[in-house]
Amino acid sequence: MNATIASITARALLGRRRFLLLLPLPLLLVGLAALAHGLDPDPSEWGEPVVAGLGFAVVLPMIALVVGTGVLGAEIDDGTIVHLLATPVARRDIVLAKLAVAAGVTTAVAATAMFLTGVIVGSVRFGVGLAVACVVCSIAYSAVFLALSVLTRRPVLLGLLYVLIWEGLLGNLLAGSRVLSIQQYAVAIAANIAPSSVLHVRLSLPLAVAMSAAFAVGGTLLAIDRLRSFRLAGETG
Amino acid sequence: MHPSTGTVELHGVSRWYGNVVAINDVSMTLGPGVTGLLGPNGAGKTTLLHMMAGFLPPSRGELTVAGRPAWRNPEIYRVLGLVADREAVPGFLTAWQFVLASARLHELPEPEQATERALGQMELHDAWHRRLGTYSKGMRQRARVAAALVHQPTVLLLDEPFNGMDPRQRLHMMDLLHRTADAGATVLFSSHILEEVEQVSGTVQVIVAGRLAASGDYRSIRRLMTHRPHVFAIRSSDDRRLAVALMAEPAVAGVDIGPSGLTVRAGDYGTFARALPRIVQRERIRVRQVTPSDESLESVFAYLVAQ
Amino acid sequence: MASDDAAVGAGVIHDIGYQRYAGPRLGRRHVVTALYLHSLRTAFGLGRSAAAKIFPGIVVGVAFGAAVVLVAVRSQAGGVIPYTYLQFIDGLGIPLIVFLAVIAPELVSRDLRSRVLPLYFSRPLRRGDYALAKLAATVSAVWLLLAGPLLLIFLGGAFSRSGGASAVWREFTDFLGGLGYAAMTAVVLGAFAVPLASLASRRAIAAVVIVVGFVATAPVIGVVNAIGGTTAQQLSPLVNPATLLTGLEAWIYRDEKLDAGRYGPLYLLVAVALVTACVAALIARYRKVTV
Repeated sequence: MNATIASITARALLGRRRFLLLLPLPLLLVGLAALAHGLDPDPSEWGEPVVAGLGFAVVLPMIALVVGTGVLGAEIDDGTIVHLLATPVARRDIVLAKLAVAAGVTTAVAATAMFLTGVIVGSVRFGVGLAVACVVCSIAYSAVFLALSVLTRRPVLLGLLYVLIWEGLLGNLLAGSRVLSIQQYAVAIAANIAPSSVLHVRLSLPLAVAMSAAFAVGGTLLAIDRLRSFRLAGETG
Repeated sequence: MHPSTGTVELHGVSRWYGNVVAINDVSMTLGPGVTGLLGPNGAGKTTLLHMMAGFLPPSRGELTVAGRPAWRNPEIYRVLGLVADREAVPGFLTAWQFVLASARLHELPEPEQATERALGQMELHDAWHRRLGTYSKGMRQRARVAAALVHQPTVLLLDEPFNGMDPRQRLHMMDLLHRTADAGATVLFSSHILEEVEQVSGTVQVIVAGRLAASGDYRSIRRLMTHRPHVFAIRSSDDRRLAVALMAEPAVAGVDIGPSGLTVRAGDYGTFARALPRIVQRERIRVRQVTPSDESLESVFAYLVAQ
Repeated sequence: MASDDAAVGAGVIHDIGYQRYAGPRLGRRHVVTALYLHSLRTAFGLGRSAAAKIFPGIVVGVAFGAAVVLVAVRSQAGGVIPYTYLQFIDGLGIPLIVFLAVIAPELVSRDLRSRVLPLYFSRPLRRGDYALAKLAATVSAVWLLLAGPLLLIFLGGAFSRSGGASAVWREFTDFLGGLGYAAMTAVVLGAFAVPLASLASRRAIAAVVIVVGFVATAPVIGVVNAIGGTTAQQLSPLVNPATLLTGLEAWIYRDEKLDAGRYGPLYLLVAVALVTACVAALIARYRKVTV
């Protein structure tokens, strides 16, 4: 974990315009929860669309996507990655630094919003449960999107495919695909900390934790290995 | 600097992408001094530089920097600096922060001092506090070179470094490259502009269509190619009489008379060089100027490209 | 070269046979048509490298795959129809969003990024023409994406139906209805996506903006449906283009799935207003954008 890289990455992320894209979503989440709570204090009807439908299905993945692909993908895209790679810093340290920033920013934005939402919807404990699930799954998502940034030139589209089609569409249709769906891990983790009628748990806690760890570690290792073999194209590239 | 840490060696290096061969069996050894990598666009200069910098593996052959392979070896960056051809820099950083970050990432013991020295070398000490996004193209280029020089590498690779520089900056950069090389570093820069290579280095590696077409001092390369006639521009006190006398010489292939002097095409450089003074003395003509007209990289280059 | 200084004096322009083109030039209509066709081909990755065909190809595969499954299920089940043409289109909601997130940035954001707009506008192509041609290409691409699988379903259904010519005729009218709804879907979703894409010059950001634009309001509807009364439930689908379409469909096709109550005409009004506003915004965007 390299502090110089982390601080430059954080500055780059927070200064870019794409970061501003993220802010409406958490505001929408908390605002909607507050509004709904004001109209109907009993969350049994509206809780699920807000927490699961907007929170875990949209807010967390989208923020993780924009941040996770932004910390490395943008540099690879415009070529400034060379300045970083032409140094003796271990590729492992580079990836870990960027992962820390990505997970940290995602957590700061998403977990805070989910915590507030949870408090509004249920109790402080529920808020904590949602926040912890966000923290764990931020790391998992960030690692996956970081790996995608190194592996392909269109990480955002692939990430969108994963979130929308794999987790969204297939997750609703095929029970088997849920094992590979980070959203489901988040739901399972949150529900185990603070059981609630709002969350429909489909995976067991041990499985969710193990798979989250697998994604986090696997994504990180993949990113490190691919970064070691990073190629700069020739004249045509 | 220990000289052996600055050697770049290539043995039979080839690089292909599917059916396209980008580099074809190139062997060379680069040592201390300035070498120009010359070739037209698309010849493979950037590919070769990226391979030397460890950003592309050779499909075949061996490529070592300071005795170790460059590929998958971040340690070489302790002694190697690369200025790539893509101009992008993190616009939100100031030049100071950018070069300082490079110094820190190279784990220098005194990064601030190194940064100040590098920025001074590139004449950026007036603008170091401004963000790179506000820099002109030439200044950005200099900032990138400063970041590559901050750890005083023994191997410095520059891809088309004079792009976007005005003549004064170019002279300054050339001077810098020479000074770096004089301190014992191996400097390799690529260019497709002949004047640049001509002025900076006498040693040249010419790469055309992925093959190494020629290497060494460019004047000697030129002389090696005796197929094409050498051209001289001569001004004398009596051009016409000199022209007549020269036409009688077997070494002379042709003479053109123009308003500013004679243009003489000679088949054999050495014979003509010995014949000219003899003729001039015999005819009692005063010669004011003898210029080898195409003793320049351009004709070398054009000739090689036409092959 | 050194011999250049020999030629001093008047310059000469040599005749190397350069001729200006004096023949007929095709006009604005041809330019627009050419741009439209080229954009349509670009949307599906035709005429480009293999990598450009992957993402549209995935969505096309998903759509056709679903159609094949539907045909198989229908032929097994005899005359029972598990999903109508309309429901099939609604079911493809998410793949359609992905498709738009892929092609709208390709058509619109790429030109902004590489700053080729001056090349376009220095031809007899007005800025509004450019915007409309790109929009038309997007809408057509979505319609084609839907029409192909619908045709497949029709063919499968026509052959597996028993009941002779009248059954086939009913199938055909259902199919035409499906094509009409596909057209509506294409127009509404396309008109919503393209202006969003034109806001960003990087394709990745444009894709995220489009997705968020479509997806963010859906949970809001869920909440309103849970809390609100009947009126709110009938009006809530208006805020999201996809649900707006289902409401419209319910009204036009007399489908009981979504109860729009008496608000059917309002859905139509909102749909038309949305499309008009989006088109106007798109044209305004391109009038304003500095090349």
